[in-house]
Amino acid sequence: MKRFIEHDELARDSRFVRQHNVLSTILGGVEDDVEAVVAAIEKYADLIEASVRGTGAEALFEKHGPGMLLVRPNEPMDPKHPAAKTQLQLRLHGVFVGELQALEGAARSLWDFPEAPWDFQMNMARQCWDEARHVQIFEKLLDHVEVEAGTFPESTFLFECACNEDPAMRVAGVNRALEGLACDVFRDTLRFAEESGDETLRQSLDFVLADEITHVRFGSEWVREFTRDDPEYAQRVQDFRRQVDQQFSFGGARSARKDASIPIAREDRLEAGFSPEELEDLAELSDRGPSSETLREALRLLRERHERRQAAE
Amino acid sequence: MSDGAPRRFPGYGSGERTHFTPYSAFDVPADLRELHGRWDVAAIAERVRNYRYAEEWSMRILGGWVATIPELPVKTGLGKIIWDCAQNADALGARLPELRFARNPRSAALPSNAKFSALIEAIAEPEAPDLTIEKLVGVFEVLFPHLVDVYTHNIKHTDAIADAPSIELLEIIVDRHRRHAKWAEEVLSKLAEASESEARRRERRRVLHDALRESGGVTGDWDFSRDTSAEAQKARGLE
Repeated sequence: MKRFIEHDELARDSRFVRQHNVLSTILGGVEDDVEAVVAAIEKYADLIEASVRGTGAEALFEKHGPGMLLVRPNEPMDPKHPAAKTQLQLRLHGVFVGELQALEGAARSLWDFPEAPWDFQMNMARQCWDEARHVQIFEKLLDHVEVEAGTFPESTFLFECACNEDPAMRVAGVNRALEGLACDVFRDTLRFAEESGDETLRQSLDFVLADEITHVRFGSEWVREFTRDDPEYAQRVQDFRRQVDQQFSFGGARSARKDASIPIAREDRLEAGFSPEELEDLAELSDRGPSSETLREALRLLRERHERRQAAE
Repeated sequence: MSDGAPRRFPGYGSGERTHFTPYSAFDVPADLRELHGRWDVAAIAERVRNYRYAEEWSMRILGGWVATIPELPVKTGLGKIIWDCAQNADALGARLPELRFARNPRSAALPSNAKFSALIEAIAEPEAPDLTIEKLVGVFEVLFPHLVDVYTHNIKHTDAIADAPSIELLEIIVDRHRRHAKWAEEVLSKLAEASESEARRRERRRVLHDALRESGGVTGDWDFSRDTSAEAQKARGLE
């Protein structure tokens, strides 16, 4: 068995289809400008359409056209919103495949880095069990919100960004960036569960969030350990984590902005070993990108163009 | 104590004994364990290092496979087994300083010989997503049943009193591996329902078991004629 695999080698059963990873970063470098957002989305319209045909997301494409990509990051989740159920289904499905990739990332760390310190391997092994339970929990939660595994296309973007071939960068990417994003998503989804009175969802997420904080802490400790006495290396690892975190901010959808659909879980991240300075920096780097208002307007324009195209066909 | 009351503590003369009934250390409850086992401290330490090698590499190999196995319940099932193997290896490593082997845990794992290392490499070889049967057979139908046999033999033949800490931890590991075998049996029965798959399963088992025999097993000196367990019989194609 070789060391280090590519994201497109992640094995899936016949229920799953892939979404091109470029679609996860479309908003990454886009300015807060409606036309810029529309142009960025339209550039990949064919790719977006191809990735959703035959999946549960096809209905969203029929309604919004390629602008469907903006439906999820556009709005904070609100139980009273008419699209709340679809939003929750999309989010939980995204988390489900994210947990799968987190399991695969932690497990590959055991094979890819056999010379790493034993305590590191113990932490990764424990994380394998935790992530495996998370996959099982989210498979149950998908049932709970009436959606099936594989309904929506899977982007392997998380694995691609996080799974570096350097052990310090791997834990920075998987444990600090990816698991840190998980903390943000779970804290926000917990809020949604509380507001909607969904006790099954709330309690599951409460436990999963506790595990994720532990995994981020593994990452914080091992980055420190791997880079001890080498400030230049420590800086490179920190820069890598920042770059991944910028990609995981989805153009500001995950940020400290008031209109963010996924706010940064500040208290959870402090608990997990992020410093206040790192959180300031995360807030700053995730702040770049189109505002919620811009995205809403871009979505409207894209939908109109899509409807015109449909009428012409 | 001169008032004629029963003594609670011994005095210095032969008439100054306590009143407590004498029992052997093995009388209550009855304990039939005897001194002397097959191995001394250095030999047990070496065996523990051999076991740790097998457990460590099982953890890593299973970790490598999680991403390349398409069956969801196998991925998630392996997550727990990886953690079990890590705990097994860790507990074995923690026993070593108690056996006068207190070096860095990194040097704790010791393969019995080059052929056993080659067997581990052969077990780790399958990579493609359509080889789940080959992956699982190597670990769950060849390596783990062998480890259960060897650990059980070790439990039975080491000094039952002096080496009881090794016995206790091996008993926990054997229990875990038996649970793993039960899980894998169900998974493989499902995955190998077609006769062609069952043939692949049998062939893989035969090839790896031959390599295991050739290596002398995890300790390098295993007498394979001793294997009478159902798992071992199956691994040798004698089911």
